[in-house]
Amino acid sequence: MFEYLALPFMQRAIIAGLILGALLSLLGIFVVLKRMAFFSDGIAHASLAGVALGVLTNANPLFVALGASSIFAILISWLERKTKIASDAIIGLIFTAGMATGVVLLSLKKGYQPELVSFLFGNILSLQWSELYIMAGLGLLIIIYLILRHKQLALMILNPDIAHANNIKVALHQTILYVIIALSVVLGMKMLGVVLVSALLIIPVSTAKIFSQSFHQLMAYSVIISELSIVLGLVLSIILNLPTGAVIVLTGIGIFSLTMAGHRLKLQFFHRQTG
Amino acid sequence: MNAIHVKNLTVAYDRRIVLNNISFEVPKGSLTAVIGPNGSGKSTLIKALLDLIPYQGRIKIFNQKPSLALNRIGYVPQYFDFDRTMPITVREFLSFISPVQSKQASQVCREVKIDSLAHKLIGELSGGQLQRVLIAQALYKNPELLLLDEPSTGIDIAGAKTFYEVIEHLNQEHGVTILLISHEVNVVNKIADQIICLNTDLICDGPPQYALTEKVMHQLYGPNHEIHQHNHQPHP
Repeated sequence: MFEYLALPFMQRAIIAGLILGALLSLLGIFVVLKRMAFFSDGIAHASLAGVALGVLTNANPLFVALGASSIFAILISWLERKTKIASDAIIGLIFTAGMATGVVLLSLKKGYQPELVSFLFGNILSLQWSELYIMAGLGLLIIIYLILRHKQLALMILNPDIAHANNIKVALHQTILYVIIALSVVLGMKMLGVVLVSALLIIPVSTAKIFSQSFHQLMAYSVIISELSIVLGLVLSIILNLPTGAVIVLTGIGIFSLTMAGHRLKLQFFHRQTG
Repeated sequence: MNAIHVKNLTVAYDRRIVLNNISFEVPKGSLTAVIGPNGSGKSTLIKALLDLIPYQGRIKIFNQKPSLALNRIGYVPQYFDFDRTMPITVREFLSFISPVQSKQASQVCREVKIDSLAHKLIGELSGGQLQRVLIAQALYKNPELLLLDEPSTGIDIAGAKTFYEVIEHLNQEHGVTILLISHEVNVVNKIADQIICLNTDLICDGPPQYALTEKVMHQLYGPNHEIHQHNHQPHP
């Protein structure tokens, strides 16, 4: 088992996994609080346009997808504020427009496209050093932003009018939040793929919510659960020779189920004790 | 000196006029209540005062534009809808507002009677407790003006009584100017120094005994509304 740790691709996967685990779980708190899981899913799908553009122009698809998803996020935020179209309809429009553009662009390229498979299902073991540098730099920057600004973001989500009355620039912070969710989702796609990337936004925070007694506990436990899911998932996927992204998600689901069962048992025990 | 000066204020959503050319003043240190039926523009008025929506006309708060006076305003919204399963303690929620000194924070919590709730989750509070936490957040920056948008909605009788006691205390003991939107005409008739009656237009404006006439009530709410008269003594 330990000989795998000496392999560069495994080292890159672990470093990237730990950074993405912290990033997506922290961000997931705001995604769940704002009830915007569909936004992260929509952005993940829409970024196919960026991946396809990268493939077509021989640029790194990850980098192009980061740029494209940021533009989509700014567009969604702007349309939400400036039009009367419902938020989920706006996301649906962008989601399908991005996917359709990606499909059209990919049809222009002949032959097998491994980037497309990697986009759909993720492959963290194929991560290059150049991608890791971008992932680590951008990921750490967003984590620092979230830690420094978590109070303003939480207040803005709980009630934008109260946030405005407290001199928080709601439109600006909302757009920044959307852009960092979009960037993080695209970074996470390298590990889990478009199909599963939302899992790391939702599962750790949903698990931590079961037993957390404060917002700060929720932040800490979400990160711990996310990191545990990723490390355990990586190890299990190597031992069992199974797809890494899917095993990480199933590990997270397993931890969630055990936590939920343990919590219910604890409640039953408590009710018996108190009669 | 006036805390609020509104001149020829008009607000429209698309082509629908919600507030039509209204003008009024709120004296500093007063407790002013805004009444009117649903859809009469009461909440829109507060949104305009907070510079949350575009408007025509002139608004001055302590002689400043609303956007420049935000530091002097505390605001309690009509609705506070959130994911109640999210574990956020009262203390954490209040810390989202501003990092105030603990002594001042404790004083605010005592004033609004929530000092025993600091470690409770906001999702587990009763309607009355949550409303007092929302007032605490509005008081954290030591405002000179408090805007309250139907603050007693969804609170039981006991909770509403405590709530109005807190409001009167803040106004009388600390000199905070209060603009209160309410449907409880008989309560505001008892506690307010000034009443503003809205129904898109400004129907009336003045002390309760002069403003709340049968004719005005009929104009606002129809024929079957009764007012209980109080021997109202305006605050000095």
